[in-house]
Amino acid sequence: MRPIRIFKAESFRFAALFALIFLSLTGALIGTVLWIVAGTERQTLIAANETDISTVRNGLRGEGLDEAIEVLQQRLGTPAAAVSVSERFVPEAYMVIEELSGKVLAGNLPFVRCGANDFTIVLPPLAGQRDSRTVLGQCADLTVTTRIFVGRDTAAMYATRARILHAFAWVAVGTCAFSILGGLFLGRRFMARVDAITQTCERVMAGKFNERIPKRGRDDEWDRLARAINEMLDRISTLLENLQQVSSDIAHDLRTPLTRLRNRLEAAREQPPGLEAYPAVIAHALGDTDQLLAMFSALLRISQIEAGTRVQTFTAVNLADVLQRLFELYLPVAEDCGHLLCRDLYPEVVVRGDAELLTQLFSNLIENAIRHTPPGAQIRIELQRVNGEALAAVIDNGPGVAPEDRDKVTRRFYRGSASRTAEGHGLGLALAAAIAQLHGARLELRDAAPGLQVITAFPLQS
Amino acid sequence: MRLLLTEDDAELAQSLIDRFRDQGYEVVHVGDGIQGLQAATAEDFDAIIVDRMLPGLDGLELVKAVRRVKTTPIIYLTTMSGIDDRVRGLEAGGDDYLIKPFAFEELLARIRVMTRRQAPASAKLFAGSIEMDLVARTVTRRGRPIELLPQEFRLLEYLIRNADRAVTRKMLLENVWDIHFDPHTSVVESHISRLRGRLNAHGEIDAIQTVRGTGYRLLASN
Repeated sequence: MRPIRIFKAESFRFAALFALIFLSLTGALIGTVLWIVAGTERQTLIAANETDISTVRNGLRGEGLDEAIEVLQQRLGTPAAAVSVSERFVPEAYMVIEELSGKVLAGNLPFVRCGANDFTIVLPPLAGQRDSRTVLGQCADLTVTTRIFVGRDTAAMYATRARILHAFAWVAVGTCAFSILGGLFLGRRFMARVDAITQTCERVMAGKFNERIPKRGRDDEWDRLARAINEMLDRISTLLENLQQVSSDIAHDLRTPLTRLRNRLEAAREQPPGLEAYPAVIAHALGDTDQLLAMFSALLRISQIEAGTRVQTFTAVNLADVLQRLFELYLPVAEDCGHLLCRDLYPEVVVRGDAELLTQLFSNLIENAIRHTPPGAQIRIELQRVNGEALAAVIDNGPGVAPEDRDKVTRRFYRGSASRTAEGHGLGLALAAAIAQLHGARLELRDAAPGLQVITAFPLQS
Repeated sequence: MRLLLTEDDAELAQSLIDRFRDQGYEVVHVGDGIQGLQAATAEDFDAIIVDRMLPGLDGLELVKAVRRVKTTPIIYLTTMSGIDDRVRGLEAGGDDYLIKPFAFEELLARIRVMTRRQAPASAKLFAGSIEMDLVARTVTRRGRPIELLPQEFRLLEYLIRNADRAVTRKMLLENVWDIHFDPHTSVVESHISRLRGRLNAHGEIDAIQTVRGTGYRLLASN
C-alpha cells in the first residue's frame, strides 16, 4: 500500500481531526493550570517578601533604624559592610535599606531606587550563565528618610511553569504520534476492506459475474455493506442469466415451430393441394404463427416479470377473490372436459401483490390441471392460512408428474414425457414460477397420491 | 364512418386502409405524430387508431393532446405488450389497446364497439325478445324469466349492449372477466354454450350467432 493513499483515507483524516481537537483541549487545560500555578507562586513570593519587611519593621519599631539594619543583616546572614551583589549564587532574598536619596545603608544589592509597591528588577546573569535574573520585590517606607526593598528571584517560579510546559509538550507529542499511528492502522484496515470490495467489483466488471465480496462473519457495517453488494450482484447475475436464457430459448425453441411452418408452406408450394384445400393449409399456417406469437409473448412476459419492476405497484390482493373468480371462469370449461372442479377457500387471505399477475398464475395452474388430466379427474382449488403463510393449492388426481421431473417442469419449454403430446407451449409453469418468485412465494410440486398438487406459499402481511 | 389512422409502417397502413374500405369505412392516413395531432384536432372522426410508437410525436403524447380537445374514441396499436404499457396507455386517455400482431377482425370488432351510438342510460336493456333489468338483475325472454349466474349476466349484458356487432373472445375476456391474457382452454366457448342453453331452453331461435374466426354476435332480432 502506497503511503500517499493512507493520508487520503477518510479514517486517517478522522484520526488527524481528533488529534487536533485533543491537542486544543489539552492546550486549554494546560493554559488554565499554568495561569493558576503562576498566580499562586506569585502570591507566595509576595507573601514571603512582606513577611521579611514586617520583621525589619518590627526591629525598627523596637529600637530604631540601626536595629532594623541589624535585623536585615541577620536575615541575609552577611555583615553590614559586605553590601554586595553576589556573583556566584542566588540568595534566598534580596533585601536593601536605602535613603530616599538612593544611598544604600544595608543589603545585598548595590542600588534599588525603588518606587512603586510591586517592583521588578533585572540583574545581570550570574557568572558563567547566560540568562539575566529577574527579581520581584516590594518596597515600603521605614522612617521618613529611609525605605526598604525585599525581593526574590523569579527563576524558581518560571522553572515550575517550564516543567508543566515540558510535560505538556510530551503529552502533545504522544497524542500526535498515537493519533497518526492509530489513523494509519485504522486506515490500513479500512483500506483493506475497501480494496477487497473494489477488487471484487473490478473482477465483476471484467466479466467474472460469480465473484462475491468475502464476509468476515462479524455482522458489522462492513459485512452489511458486503451483503448488500453481494445481493445486488446476485440480482444482477440472475437478470443476466435470464436474459441469456431468453435469447437461447428464442434461438432454439422457436426454431422448431418455425421450421414446421416453413415446411408446411414449402410443401403447399411444391405440391399445390388444390383450391378447395388451400383454406385448410392457410388456417394451419396461421395456427402455427399464432402459436409462435403466443410463445414469444409468454417469453417476453416471463422476462418482464423476472426483471421485478412490477413490485413497485403491488397492492393488497385478496387471494380468495382471485381464486373465486377463476373458479367461476373455469367451471364451465372444466365440466365440458368432463372434470369435476371444486374449491375450498378460506374467505379472507390478503397478500401484497399484483392482481393481474396473480390471476395469470392461478389461471395457468388450473389450465394445466384441466389439460393434463383425463376426463373424470377431480381438480380442487384450496386456500388456507398456515403458520403465517397463505397456501394456495391446485390439486388433481390425474397421472401426476414423475418425481424426477418435478423440479424441471417450471423450466421454460420443459415438458415431462407424459405431456409431450399435449397442446401448449411449455411455458405455463415457468410463467407461474416467475410470478410466484416476484411475490416472494414458493411454488412447490408435490405428489397428491394419486395426482399432482401445485402449492404456492405466500408470505402473509403482518 | 371516418377513421383517422396514424401508423408509420406504410405496408401495414395500406393493408388496413384497403380492408377498412372494403368494410365501407373512409380512412385518413398520416405517417407521423405531429400530422396525426393536426388532423385529429382539425377534423371530426368517428374513431382514431394510434400507433403507440410514432415519429415526431409519441403515440401517448398524441393521445394526451387530443384528449384535451376531443372525446373521439381512440384505440392504440402497439408492440408494447407489458401490463404497465397498457395501463399507461389507457390512463393517457385511450379507450382500447390492441397488441400487434392482431387479426383485422379483432380491430374491426373493437372499432365497431367503440363507435356504437351510446344508448341513453336506462335501467333496462332490450334485444329482440330478451329483456334485461339492470337494477333488479333479472332477465326474461318472451316474458319467461331466465335464471343467470352473475358472470352469465355480465356476459349477456355485454352482448346486448353490442347487439348485432361481432365481439371477439378477447373482448369478452377483457370486458366480462377482466382477463388480459390468452387462456389455453376454451373458457369463453363454454360460457357461451351455457348462456345459449339458458336463453334457448324453450326451443327459441339461437340469439347468439357464432362468427367464424372472430367470435360471437347477439342478434337484435330474435
